[in-house]
Amino acid sequence: MIYLDNAATTNFKPERVIKTVENALKNYSANPGRSGHSLSAFAAEKIYSVREKVADFFSLGDPLGVVFTLNCTQAVNFVLKGVLNRGDGLIISNLEHNCVARPAFKMAEEGKITLDVFDALSDDIEKAVEALIKPNTKMIFCTHASNVCGKITDIEKLGKICKKHNILFGVDAAQTAGVLPINMEKTGIDFLCVASHKGLFAPMGTGILIARKPIEKTIIEGGTGTASLSLYQPDVLPEMLESGTVNLPGILGIGAGIDFIKSKGIDNIYRHENALCKKFLKDVSQNKNISVILRNEKDVGFVPVIAFNVRGKKSEEVAESLNSFGIAVRGGYHCAPLAHRALGTIDGGAVRVSPGILNRSCDMEYLRKAIFSISH
Amino acid sequence: MKRYVVATGTVTHAIKGREILKKRGIAAETERMKYGTENYGCGYGIVTGGNIEEIERILKKENVKIIKIIPLD
Repeated sequence: MIYLDNAATTNFKPERVIKTVENALKNYSANPGRSGHSLSAFAAEKIYSVREKVADFFSLGDPLGVVFTLNCTQAVNFVLKGVLNRGDGLIISNLEHNCVARPAFKMAEEGKITLDVFDALSDDIEKAVEALIKPNTKMIFCTHASNVCGKITDIEKLGKICKKHNILFGVDAAQTAGVLPINMEKTGIDFLCVASHKGLFAPMGTGILIARKPIEKTIIEGGTGTASLSLYQPDVLPEMLESGTVNLPGILGIGAGIDFIKSKGIDNIYRHENALCKKFLKDVSQNKNISVILRNEKDVGFVPVIAFNVRGKKSEEVAESLNSFGIAVRGGYHCAPLAHRALGTIDGGAVRVSPGILNRSCDMEYLRKAIFSISH
Repeated sequence: MKRYVVATGTVTHAIKGREILKKRGIAAETERMKYGTENYGCGYGIVTGGNIEEIERILKKENVKIIKIIPLD
């Protein structure tokens, strides 16, 4: 199978991630920090070392702001529902994945918040966002890069707007953590939500919320191994958001994934994957039956994700045909109806190709041949 | 030198506090609380010693949550 669905999750997991997870399962499967015996304490120390690693990787500064979650969606929910209060205003982009859109629209529908959506495809993103800021606007939360078309949002500009208006800034980095360098301090990101099973090469079932500002409310309560006589949830990060036993092997896998990225160089990985995208874009540019969504080979400002359609074919049909060629891509709507509306692909969705670190130029050539075969 | 347990509640705060103190040359170890938290329940603390006012100031500045400080010996 030629795997080109890395925007969903990275199929390749580095050997050091696999060995770290295996070692944790074999040698220190103790409940971290719960029981107090040596193995439990050792496991807690191991997890803390990953908090430090994550804080350093995203320039957070304080490991106490690193919260391990099940996935990026849970992290986003913790932020939106933990920070926004009744009457607050939220601004999101029109490229959001449902991990942001669904909690936001639910909260708005329930009358808890006001919700505005800015056009992330605008040539003047600052103007688009500024026009929506109201006295009750408390937070801008947006994707760092579209999971449909790969378009990168200029979070530095948004960070400046948030700072100017004293608004909180949350970022969905599901497609960019481990793909693009992210400096929370410099960019002014208050809450960063990460799908560590994607760009950080960690196992599935892992995500991270990285918080520079307090979270006021919890949406899940339970055992934290601390203050156990209290019937109320602790109010300090990270434990207040980590009820229940944490995923020790997965979390240590995150640490190993970060080590892997550092050893390869985040820029080198990006360059490699982007070169594969550019080759594909060049190859298909002459085929009139293939329409690439939004981007062409000369474009900059994209992560290694491409959406396209084949004339006269449904996207799911093309994805199924490619599967029969042994190529893994994703058709349909990618859990991102806002983005598909914005991109003009709401009628049928698109086929998404997202190469990864192990893909080679010959994979893209094989993809081209398969698509040309399908399109004729 | 008088010794203390700085009860931090969570193991994460205890480890962070220990590391901060060690970086400043102050001896510190984490331990699971054995006593002094009867009204609080399970938790962790930092066993340390010396100028406890200064230690408390350092930890608070670094956002380490302190539940209480219990003198040892």
